[in-house]
Amino acid sequence: MLTDHERSHLEEHIARYPEKRAGAIYTLQFLQQKYGYLPDEALAEASGLCGLSVTQLDELATFYTLLLRRPAGRTVLRICDSIACHLAGAPALLAEAQRLTGAPLGGVSEDGSVTVMPHVCLGLCDQAPAALAGERELGKLDQAALGKLLASLKTVEEG
Amino acid sequence: MEPVLSRNFHLSQPPGLADYRAGGGYEALKVALGQDPEAMIEMVDKTGLRGYGGAGFPLARKWRARGSDAPHPRYLVMNVDETEPGSFKDRQLLYRDPHQVIEAVLVTGFIEQADHAYVFIRGEYAEGARRLEQAVAEAREAGLVGRNILGSGFDLDLDVHLSAGRYICGEETALLNALEGRRGNPRSKPPMPFEKGLWGAPTLVHNIETLCHVPHIVSRGPDWFNGQGVNGGHGTKLYSVCGEVKRPGFWELPMGTTARELIYEHAGGPPNGQALAAFLPGGASTAFLLPEHLDTPMHFDAVAATGSRFGTCGIIALGSGTCPLDFLIGIHKFFVRESCGFCTPCRDGLPYLHSLLERVEAGQGRPGDLDLMLELCAKIAPNSFCPFAPGAITPLESGLKVFADVIQAHIERGACPYRGAH
Repeated sequence: MLTDHERSHLEEHIARYPEKRAGAIYTLQFLQQKYGYLPDEALAEASGLCGLSVTQLDELATFYTLLLRRPAGRTVLRICDSIACHLAGAPALLAEAQRLTGAPLGGVSEDGSVTVMPHVCLGLCDQAPAALAGERELGKLDQAALGKLLASLKTVEEG
Repeated sequence: MEPVLSRNFHLSQPPGLADYRAGGGYEALKVALGQDPEAMIEMVDKTGLRGYGGAGFPLARKWRARGSDAPHPRYLVMNVDETEPGSFKDRQLLYRDPHQVIEAVLVTGFIEQADHAYVFIRGEYAEGARRLEQAVAEAREAGLVGRNILGSGFDLDLDVHLSAGRYICGEETALLNALEGRRGNPRSKPPMPFEKGLWGAPTLVHNIETLCHVPHIVSRGPDWFNGQGVNGGHGTKLYSVCGEVKRPGFWELPMGTTARELIYEHAGGPPNGQALAAFLPGGASTAFLLPEHLDTPMHFDAVAATGSRFGTCGIIALGSGTCPLDFLIGIHKFFVRESCGFCTPCRDGLPYLHSLLERVEAGQGRPGDLDLMLELCAKIAPNSFCPFAPGAITPLESGLKVFADVIQAHIERGACPYRGAH
């Protein structure tokens, strides 16, 4: 549940746009930050704030790749597999990540620490292969660095 | 060459307001606020400055198309949705010098007599968006953003809008839908955004690198700008090279620098004793160029004359040791994933092509597969709704033609001819 403070913060942000629905993306990002993904309850909370139905919000949440409708690990690791990273070994990194986490791409590791996904170009082509761990940018990854990263994510606490 | 857009890139942290001002920052805004917008449009027209987001439309023509009599409210949108594979120049401007970005929006906003500005930033650049928001807060506090800017009577508020992913949102009409809180599917044109854009009001959408040049042109003049270029180019350009080179990176250089200089002098050429097999000159959605094109000056007209496109001029190099089919798959899978799904040729056609590419790579290609792929390319591009599918088809179709012998060898041998060769 949103607190009164969170609700008024969102209302203030939404009011900066000429139409409420323009604040929907920010609202969904905010709720995802809070819950880790966007459960049905989050869409219902956003609905009242943005003047959109839950179905309209679901249309947005399922279109935009950074919005998640399913539970994810505490950290979402997005490994770029566009051309520069593809050439620099992204396919092998994605395979290794699945082996180390024991979860398929998009799935949650058994300990809940991470969800690994392939992602489109992160604009880090000069540091290929690159990834985003949450919002943290990582470059020049190799299998050893990936192993260390995944091990360190196990200790990241919830929230 | 004196760095212009990248003059603060040597700093370990992006400059705050005081440091930016100490280096001459916001002086161009003062100059602009004392001038007639029409005179500044004339100045920019003399430089021929074109859009650096990929399309290359002349900026002054865009301004004139909207006209000075357009109704209010008018919106200005800076497009920082850089997602083109091989393009990472806009990120540098956003992350390394946010006040330069703000000054660019303010000067352009005054020229356009805009009422409100949005900086639309891709969700993956969240850290850059935070830096920009901090800078906007500083600038607002100093009377540079908001009402009565520097006592001029001109008002312009500026909001940072962090998007939530999807390459297609960089297409200007898809961007407008995304900003309005809708799915980022492109809109049909006409009406053009300058007639009916955000919330039905006149809206001009510009790439960040394009706009960052405007304050410099206003304060130093078109002759100074034009004098920066070489080989028929004007001004400077944030060039980048990635892929199979020793030192991938970005450099601000005179517009018109040759591909040879970029790939060999700055990026060090292909690694491990490889030769250069080919390169994409303007990001992932452009046609291949070959070593014989290395002396092409990298500016819009010279690249267009080769049959390819300048695009964002994010060069992607392919070395002689890598299978071109693998390279094509690496390019194409991006477009398959990023199709917005709105029209059938793109939504269904691109994955079908991808399955054919993978079949050939897996050694299960059939004799007519190359022709089938070329036929699909010819049908998908002209029958899709927006420029996305043509952008996806361009590198693929050109690659299938340039590397036809490699594709045929895969089909005939039932295996990759590069495997085990190096």
